[in-house]
Amino acid sequence: MAAAEGSTPQAEVMTIASPINLIIASLFVVLLYWHFRPKAPVELPRGPPPVVFRTYTPKTLIKFNGEDNQPVYLAVRGRVFDVTPGRGFYGPGGVYENFAGRDASRGLACQSFDEEMLTKDLSAPLDELKDLDAEQLENLQSWEERFSEKYLVIGKLVAEGDPEAPAS
Amino acid sequence: MADTFLERLDAMVADVLAEWNLYTTVLATILGAFAVYMVIASKDPDVHPFLLARQSTPAPVRQHGESATYRALETPHGFPLRLGLNVKDPGAPKWTGGRRGDLRDIWKTAVRGALNEDGSPSGKQGKIYTVLGKKAIEHSLDQVTQEINVIGRHLQKSGVKTVAVCLTDSVELLAAIFAGAFYGYKTIIVPHNLPPETLSAHLQKANADALIAEAGSLDLSLVTKGNKQLSIVVWVAKYGNRHMDWNEVPEDVKGSLKVAVWHELIEEGKDLSGLDVPAYDPKIPTPAVNTVWPSSSESGEFIDFKPENLVSATGALSALPRTQRVNPNDIVLSIDSLSRSYPLCQIMAALFANASIALNSVAGEKVDFALATVGVSPTIIVASSRTMSDYHDRIMEPHTGIISCFGRWLQARTLEAGNMPTRNIFSQLARIGPTAELSLDNLRLLCISHRIDASPEARLSTQQLTDLRVFTGARILYALTGPGVAGAIAQTNIFDYRNVGGLSHFGAPLSSTEVTLTNIAEDTESDGLVEGQITVSGPAVVGGNTTLPARGRISNDNTLELCS
Repeated sequence: MAAAEGSTPQAEVMTIASPINLIIASLFVVLLYWHFRPKAPVELPRGPPPVVFRTYTPKTLIKFNGEDNQPVYLAVRGRVFDVTPGRGFYGPGGVYENFAGRDASRGLACQSFDEEMLTKDLSAPLDELKDLDAEQLENLQSWEERFSEKYLVIGKLVAEGDPEAPAS
Repeated sequence: MADTFLERLDAMVADVLAEWNLYTTVLATILGAFAVYMVIASKDPDVHPFLLARQSTPAPVRQHGESATYRALETPHGFPLRLGLNVKDPGAPKWTGGRRGDLRDIWKTAVRGALNEDGSPSGKQGKIYTVLGKKAIEHSLDQVTQEINVIGRHLQKSGVKTVAVCLTDSVELLAAIFAGAFYGYKTIIVPHNLPPETLSAHLQKANADALIAEAGSLDLSLVTKGNKQLSIVVWVAKYGNRHMDWNEVPEDVKGSLKVAVWHELIEEGKDLSGLDVPAYDPKIPTPAVNTVWPSSSESGEFIDFKPENLVSATGALSALPRTQRVNPNDIVLSIDSLSRSYPLCQIMAALFANASIALNSVAGEKVDFALATVGVSPTIIVASSRTMSDYHDRIMEPHTGIISCFGRWLQARTLEAGNMPTRNIFSQLARIGPTAELSLDNLRLLCISHRIDASPEARLSTQQLTDLRVFTGARILYALTGPGVAGAIAQTNIFDYRNVGGLSHFGAPLSSTEVTLTNIAEDTESDGLVEGQITVSGPAVVGGNTTLPARGRISNDNTLELCS
C-alpha cells in the first residue's frame, strides 16, 4: 500500500513546463521562424554603366591608342570601334598597333599595316578613299562586318573643324 | 576533472530526459511532423530568382542625354525584335521562317482549330461567348465567318474605304474588324457611349464613309449633318429590339444615305456566302485599324495601327513561358473595351492560340469586376488597372477579416518564396470574405493594363497585386500601355511575385518594343537611377518610334517604373 501511495504523487508531477518540454517547444518556435522568416528578394550587382556615344576628331581619337592602359579605339569609314578586347592585336606591341587611335580604313582596304597608309596630318580632312578599286572596297567591307560583329561602335569620327566636331 | 564534468553532464541529460511525459511526446510529434512537412513542401521557385533580379538588358552604348536602350531578355541587342506571328503556311518548306502574318491569318487559324501534336488539325475550334448579364450566348466561329463574309461583301460592294465601328464589345465588333482585313476597308474603332457631337467630329476627322453602330444609340440626323461623305449606316440591333423597323432614313439625307440592319443583312446573305474563310493573298497588305486614344482634350487622338504593329504586339503578348501560354482549353474574358489596343491584342492572341473568348457588352476601363465576370467561368481575364484597383479598394480590402488576413499571410509567404500557392484549405481561408461574390474557380491569369496617362490612383501597388494573387488564385500580368504603341510597352514577368512595397513596376519591355529614357539629366553622376522621358521604338510602335508624355525610370532589377 505504502509503495502504491508512493507512486501516485509521481503522476501529479507530470508538468508541461519541464525543461525538456521547453527545449522542444523552443526548437519548434525556431523552426517556425526559420520557415516563415521574411526573405529579401535576390539582388544582382548592377552591370557596368553604358559607354556614351561620342564624336571624335583625329586629334581626340589618337589618345586612345592603348598606351598607359588606355582603351584602344580605331576608326573605319567614320565609325569608331572599341577594340580593347582585342588589345593583343590592336594595342601596343600588336600586329595592328599602327591603327590604334587612327583612321584605319585605307590600311584595312589595302591589307597593309604600314605607317604610310595613315593620314599623317591629323587636321586634314578625312580620307575619302576615292581611289580604291572594287576589290579593296570589298576587303574593307568584310573587315567592317567583322568589326561590327565583334566590337562595339562607340562613336563617330569627323574631320577637325567639321561643324559636328565637339569644341575643344 | 573531465570525468566529473562528463559525469555531471550525463546526469543532467538523464535528469532532463527523465521528465519525458505525455506532453513531451505530443510536442515532439508536432515538431517532427512540421520538419517533415517543411522538407516535403519545399519547392523550387517558379522561375530562377536571378531572372527576376535582372529582367531586361541595356545596350552597351548610349547616346548623350539618353539612357541605354533596354530590351526584353528574349530579344538581345543586335537581333531583330519580334515582328509578328511567325505564320507557317501548310506546304511551305520546313526550314523557312514563318511570315509575319496579319489579322486574316489570325482568323484563319482560329477557324482551322487546334492542331494535334503531329500538326494535323484536331477539329477543335474555340468558341465565342457574349456575356449579357448573367447569361452567356455561344457563337460558333463558322457563324461569325458567315457574318464577316456578308458584311464584308455588303461594304465592299458599296465601295466604301473607311468604316467607323461604334459598338460595345460584341461579336459584331469582332466581325467588323476581321471583315475589314478580308474585304479591304480601313476600320476605325470608336469607343461607344460618346456624345453625338464628339462622334460626329471623329467621323469627320477620319473621313469615314460608313458607320456601324448600335440601333437606337444615336440620333442619325445629328451625325449626318456634319458628315456628308457618310454613305452607309449599318445598325446592329440588340436581341430584344430586332422586331422594330430600323430602316428609317432621316429626311435630309434620303438620297445619299443607305441604311441597313445587321441581322437582316445576315439573313438575306446567308445562302449566298459560304461558311469558308475567304481566300486571300498574304502578300497584299491589309488596311489599317484605327483606335481612339482618350486624351485629356475631349476629342481624343486617332492611333493609326498598321497590321504589322498589331501582329507584332499580338505575337509578343502570346510569348509567355511554356507552361503559362494560352491554350485551346482557355476561355479568355475581356472586361476592358476592345477599342483599346491591349485587350484587342490579347483577344487576337487568344484567337490565334485557338482559345475560346468571351466578350462583355459592359466592358470598359471602369467596370464592376464582380458583375462583369458572372455568366462565364473564364481562365484568363483582361482588365484595366482602374477596374482592379477599384475592386481592391472597394470590396477586397474592407471584407478582409481576421481569418482572411491569416490565410493571406500564409499564402503571401508562399509567394515570397517564389511559388504560386496551390488551391488548398488555406486559400479557401484567405478567400472567405474578399472574393466571396466571385465565381472564378478556373481563373489562372489576370492581364491588367495601365494607361500611361491614367490617373495615378489607378496604379497598383505590389501589395495590391499580392492580394489579387492570393484572393483570386491567379497569376498576374501588369502592363503599361501608351498611345501609338500596339499591345503594351512593358509587362511584368508572369512569375514575378515579389512584394517589395510601393507602387509596382511594369516589368521589362515586351519583345516587340525597346525602351529608352530620353532627356535625362547628365550631370548627376551618382548611383541614383536615371530618370527620363519614356521613348519606345520597335515594330509594335506606329511609325516605329514615339516619345510618351510621361517620365519613367529603370530600377535596379532593370524593370520600367513610372515616376509619379
